[in-house]
Order: sequence, then structure tokens, then C-alpha cells
Amino acid sequence: MNNKIASRRVSHSRRRGQPVERDWRQHHNQGVWREVQEERRQESIPRGVCLSMCPIRELQDREAQNLLHRFEVLSGTERERWPRADPSGVVKEYARPAAGKDSTRPSDLRPPAVLLKTVFYLVDNIAASPTLRPWTEVYDFVFDRLRSVRQDMIIQRVSGADCVAVLERTVRFLIYASYRLCGEPLRLYDPRINDTHLQESLSWLLECYTSGKHPNQEEFQALGLLYNLGSSRATQHTMELPERIRSSPVMHLALSVSRAFMERNPVRLLRLAHSLDFLQSCALHRHLVTCRRDLLLIYSHGHSSKNCRFPLHKLSHILALDVPLTNQLCQAHGVEVHGDSVVFSKTTFTEPEAGKLQCAHFHDLVDRKQRDLTVGSIIHGCT
Amino acid sequence: MFTTSHACSVHTMLLTCSQVYEAIDNHEGSFCAELLSFKHPHVANPRLQLASPEEKCQQVLEVPYDEMVAAHLRCTYAVSNHDFVEAYKCQTLVVQSFLRAFQSHKEENWALPVMFAVTLDLRIFANNAEQQLLRKGKGKLGDMLEKAAEQLMGCFRVCASDNRAGIDDSKKWGMLFLINQLFKIYFKINKLHLCKPLIRAIDSSNLKDDYSMAQRVTYKYYVGRKAMFDSDYKPAEEYLSFSFQHCHRSSQRNKRMILIYLLPVKMLLGHMPNHQLLRKYDLMQFADVTKAVSEGNLLLLNEALAKHETFFIRCGIFLILEKLKIITYRNLFKKVYQLLKTHQLPLDAFLVALKMMQVEEVDIDEVQCILANLICEGHIKGYISHQHQKLVVSKANPFPLLSSSS
Repeated sequence: MNNKIASRRVSHSRRRGQPVERDWRQHHNQGVWREVQEERRQESIPRGVCLSMCPIRELQDREAQNLLHRFEVLSGTERERWPRADPSGVVKEYARPAAGKDSTRPSDLRPPAVLLKTVFYLVDNIAASPTLRPWTEVYDFVFDRLRSVRQDMIIQRVSGADCVAVLERTVRFLIYASYRLCGEPLRLYDPRINDTHLQESLSWLLECYTSGKHPNQEEFQALGLLYNLGSSRATQHTMELPERIRSSPVMHLALSVSRAFMERNPVRLLRLAHSLDFLQSCALHRHLVTCRRDLLLIYSHGHSSKNCRFPLHKLSHILALDVPLTNQLCQAHGVEVHGDSVVFSKTTFTEPEAGKLQCAHFHDLVDRKQRDLTVGSIIHGCT
Repeated sequence: MFTTSHACSVHTMLLTCSQVYEAIDNHEGSFCAELLSFKHPHVANPRLQLASPEEKCQQVLEVPYDEMVAAHLRCTYAVSNHDFVEAYKCQTLVVQSFLRAFQSHKEENWALPVMFAVTLDLRIFANNAEQQLLRKGKGKLGDMLEKAAEQLMGCFRVCASDNRAGIDDSKKWGMLFLINQLFKIYFKINKLHLCKPLIRAIDSSNLKDDYSMAQRVTYKYYVGRKAMFDSDYKPAEEYLSFSFQHCHRSSQRNKRMILIYLLPVKMLLGHMPNHQLLRKYDLMQFADVTKAVSEGNLLLLNEALAKHETFFIRCGIFLILEKLKIITYRNLFKKVYQLLKTHQLPLDAFLVALKMMQVEEVDIDEVQCILANLICEGHIKGYISHQHQKLVVSKANPFPLLSSSS
């Protein structure tokens, strides 16, 4: 039981006769303490004045303590004992809010215009850079710096078009990364952390869309639905969108994919997936594992007969995989392949061993769509 | 300087405080509850709507009752000003103070009616406050309701952990009411997974069949809806049927609400409602859906779903009704089987049937998939021969009854 709500002690001092201000009393009721704080803060929302991508103080501190990132260092000084900061490349890093640390100092906060400029820099000069390697390191840097951008936005209560512009690029970046880094070892990339931040950014973005007009809304409602395929929450949310959004071509396609998934019609789903663009396919791709598994399960039951043969090339066509990969997939699911025929049987189908199947090996359907799209155009959305 | 009206207010307030004092002293839970409930007309009395009643309350009542009543009076003031955000904050204090008192009642439960009244008002004010904030473009949907839920959980824990008192004095009798309040919040903020521990608590309780019928009907309604959401249709049917049958005849509105969820579940299990029932409860939106499903008419089903889309989506049953498509396929294909009178059915026949139903862009591969799915779900007994492009069905009962295969 929470003893911070002092009972006897407080009532005695109150009984000393002073008329009590409602505010004072509320301070001692922990439940509404937060609300009072909230009210006070709203009266003075911090407004940033830092016009560079990184506050001067932080740049000097990190340079002095040799805590600059490889990408922030002045070229030519990398090998020195104390590398110099490249002012056009240092970006404010994410710092966990801590007691005693004031994260609301205006000189440390970047106003919305600077935040957007920062995002552009991160996308064009880092994420889309043809020379910076390995991309896991590029991802780490951009991920962290974008997180710091979002933090500045939260502290300053940024909303509206500025907020949307930042979040849209963040979501595209995280979706693209979920595909590009799929299969990387856990120590280099954690898909769950990516997923958490992607969901948070997506929720925030969808909330921004509820007021005002936003030209890219359909694109992101569709991406959200595809990424969260099968989620009742996400599907119900989509159903509650206004008719004119739901009936747009991009949403119509996403809804068809969703319907095919809910009806458990993987043949239809995989066929519809061909019509998705690259980023949409990135959003969908992790569900293709389930989709293909469902197909093999359904067919194992539906075609279960000792004497029947199903052509392997036909199966690979339906699965949108080449023949060797189809073979591999069948084997992992206990589906027997004899030469160029598949023998389905409901008794032999099994779930693959954990970790045996690597999603990354089956990326062909998505890969093909990238063609000559640049990373920059993917994230800025001008495909 | 006191004005006459101020003196009247003070007088009325002291009267109220004394009444509360008496009620507490005599352990009159129901009467005390009335004095603190917003269903009771006293809340409209302008003489009680005061901004700073603390001092007077302290004169009559002990801690924490003084804070509780003072907060309640401030709440009436806030409500009279239509400031539901403030009302919610005050009600939070009412519940907090109440809980402190409640916890100190050892082996007695006379204050349960008070708990019911103050927690109900808390949830209602949280709702109203959120609506107010959203209209101003502030606040996030669910924030206040979640906080209210936390407080209700605090009360729940006090009730659930009352192991010492005898059954008549046990605070456990308060559990189901609180659970129903929590369900309402969790459904509103769409966090259904939070219902699970509560359901577990009741399932393991020996009081579960002894709560009032009204509370049990509400409980089963929400548990049934949760089961629907989790695609557990058999248990969903049981819960919702119980709720419907035992819901009081006079609560037409509640019976209708239960039916809205019971009907789709029953249809998924193969039981179509008759028109009489639909007409009686003003649910004719289901009429076309029912007709379409039982005839295997996909075209009519799609039309019916589109026509009443808004209603179905608002109730949250649109997605479940879409699942009826599988049942509709089954009924359609059964007709094909009955028409062709053979056990070796060409796949093409099914494709023709689908095309007649104006199903978009369907080809023979998809037909195979739909059939395979029906076999997998147990709706058809047989297998597909790709080489012969035929569906071979069992000679005995190839289309088992829906209720047995769901």
C-alpha cells in the first residue's frame, strides 16, 4: 500500500485553520500529482533554438571525450588520437531522460525546421550513401539519431505537418531496414527493437492523421495494415477509416491482401502480393513465411492422397519461389518431393524446426521489385 | 462576510456531512452510497456545489471520509460547470479516500454499495472527460480511462485479497461488479488482453455462480465477446447464449446488444436466425446476410455486407461476418455436389459457380486453394486430384454438419 498519501499528519496541519488552496492539497495526493505537473508544463512548452543538427555543447563535449561516431568525424582526422568533429556531420544523439538532467533547455532543442533538415541529412548522406559500410552500422547510427529527433519532437510537442514529415520518413526507413537487415545476426540487428520503434512511430503517425489533411495518408494506412497483417486491432482500425480513404486504390489492394490472409487463401494472397510496390512488399514480407506455411498445410490436407501427384513447378509458381527453394521449403515442412512431383499427405506435414528456415533466403519476391530504386527515393517516398 | 445563500450552502453541506456521518456510523452502505452517487438528485442541488468545502467537512467527519465527501462536493461543482476533466480528478480523490477507509474495514463489507457507486461514477467521468478533451483536440484516446482502470484494479485487489472474513462479510462480493467495469474500459480502449487475468480470477472463485444474475449476465456478455475476438466460437456461443437467455425480459436494449454478437457466432456454427427474431429485436441488417449464407450466395453476401457496412463496423462484427464467406463457399459447393450427383467433381464446375457469383479474378488455382481449405477445416471430406482436376469426395457424408466441424 502506498504510504506516500499521508493521512493523519496532513489532516492535522490542515486543521490548524489555514484555508487550504486546492493546489496545495492536490500535491499530496499522488494520483493527481501527475495531472498538476502536466498542467504546469503545458503553460510553458519548451521551444528549441538550436539551429544546427547538434547542440554546440554536446558537440564540444563529445569531441573532448572522444565520443564522436565514425560518421561524425572530420575526414583526415580519423586516425588521430583525438579526432576532430565535422560540424556538418555531427548529429545530436539519443539520451535517456534522467533525474536531475534538464532535457528542456532551448539551446539543446532543435526546432521543427531543423529537425526536418536533420532527417534529410540522415537519409540522403547516411542511409542512402553508396559508400558507407556496413549497412548495419549505417542503420544503428540513423536509428539512434532519428530516435533523438523524435525525442526533441515529443519535448516540444511538435504536431501537424512538421511532425508528419519526420514520422513518414522514419516509418519508411524502419520498414526498409526490417527487410534489408532481415537475417543479420542478432548482435548486429535486433528485429524486435526495430519492430517496437516502428509500431510506436506508426501509431504516432496515424494519430497525427486524425486531424488535418495529409496527402500520404493512404500510403501509410496501407503500410500499417500490411505490416500488421492478421492483427484484429490493425484491421478493425482500418475498417473504421472514412470511406474515401478505404476506397483509394492503394488501400483497396492492401485490404484485399488482408482479406485473403483472414480467409486463409494463400494462393490469392501471393498472387496479390505481386502487385505490391517495393516498400509495401518490405512491410508484408515477414508474413510470407506464415503464408507459405499455410499453403503447404492446406494443400497437405486438401491433396492428401497416396496416388496423387502435384507438379513441383506448379507449386513453385504458386509459392512465388524458384524450384530449388520450393524443394527446400517442402523438406523443412515434411512435404515429400519425388523428382518433379510433390506428394502431399496430411500425416507427413510438420512445422519446421525452430531456426531451420531463414526468411532471408526466400526474399526473391521482394528483391525483384527493388530494381533501380535508390534508398533515398524509397525513404523519401518519391518512387 | 457571509451572504444568505452562502449560509444556506453551509447549512445544507453540514446537513449532508452529518447524514454521511450517520450512515457510516450505522454501517448503512446503500444509504451512504446514495449520498455519494451521481445518480442521486442531491448532486443537482446548487447549495452543495462548492469549490472549497474542505473545512466544513473536516468539522463533521473523520479522515479519510472528510476528504471523500469534500472531493465529492467539489465534483458536483465541477459537473455543474460541465468541467468533466475536473470532475474526473475530484472523483479520483473520492475513490482514493474511499479505498483507504474500505481497507480499514476489517472483516466487514457494508461499504460495498459505496464502492459500486463511486467506481461507476469514476468510469463515467473518465469517459466524459476524454470526450471533452478530444473535442478540443487535446488528450489521447484511452489515457484517462486507463488511469481509471488502474484505480479500479486497486479496489479489485482489496476485494480479491479478503481471505479472512466469513462469506457473508467478505469483500469478495465486490469482485464481479468491478470486473464488469474493467471489462467495459478494456473493450473501449481496445486492450482485450487485459481481461484474461480477471477471467482467471473469477473462474477460480467459488462465488462465481452466486453473484446476482444481472452481474453474471454482464460478465458472460463480455467474456463471450472476448471469446469471439479470440475465434473460440463454441465457448463464445455458450457465454452469449447464457447472457441472452438470462437477460431480463424488460431490458430489450441489452438483449439486442447481446444478439448482435450472438448471431454471427451462431451463423458461423451453422445456425441461421429466423426473421421473427430479427424483426423482434430490430436487427433486419442480418436478414440478407443470413439468406446469402444459407443459400451459398456469395454475391448477395458481399452486397449485404457492403450495404450495412457502417453498422457492422461500428459494432465490431464486420470482420467476423466476413468469415461467413467460408461457410458460404461450403454451402455453394454443396449445391454443386447435389446438382452433379457424383463423387468425382470436376474443379471447373466450382470455378463456374464462383464466376456466376461474380467473384472477381478467380482462377482454377484459387478454386483448389478454397477447396483445400474447406477440407483442412473439416467442412468437406475428400481430396483433390490435381492430375485429374477433380475433387473426390467421400461417399458417406461428404459435407458434415457445420456445428460438428467448427
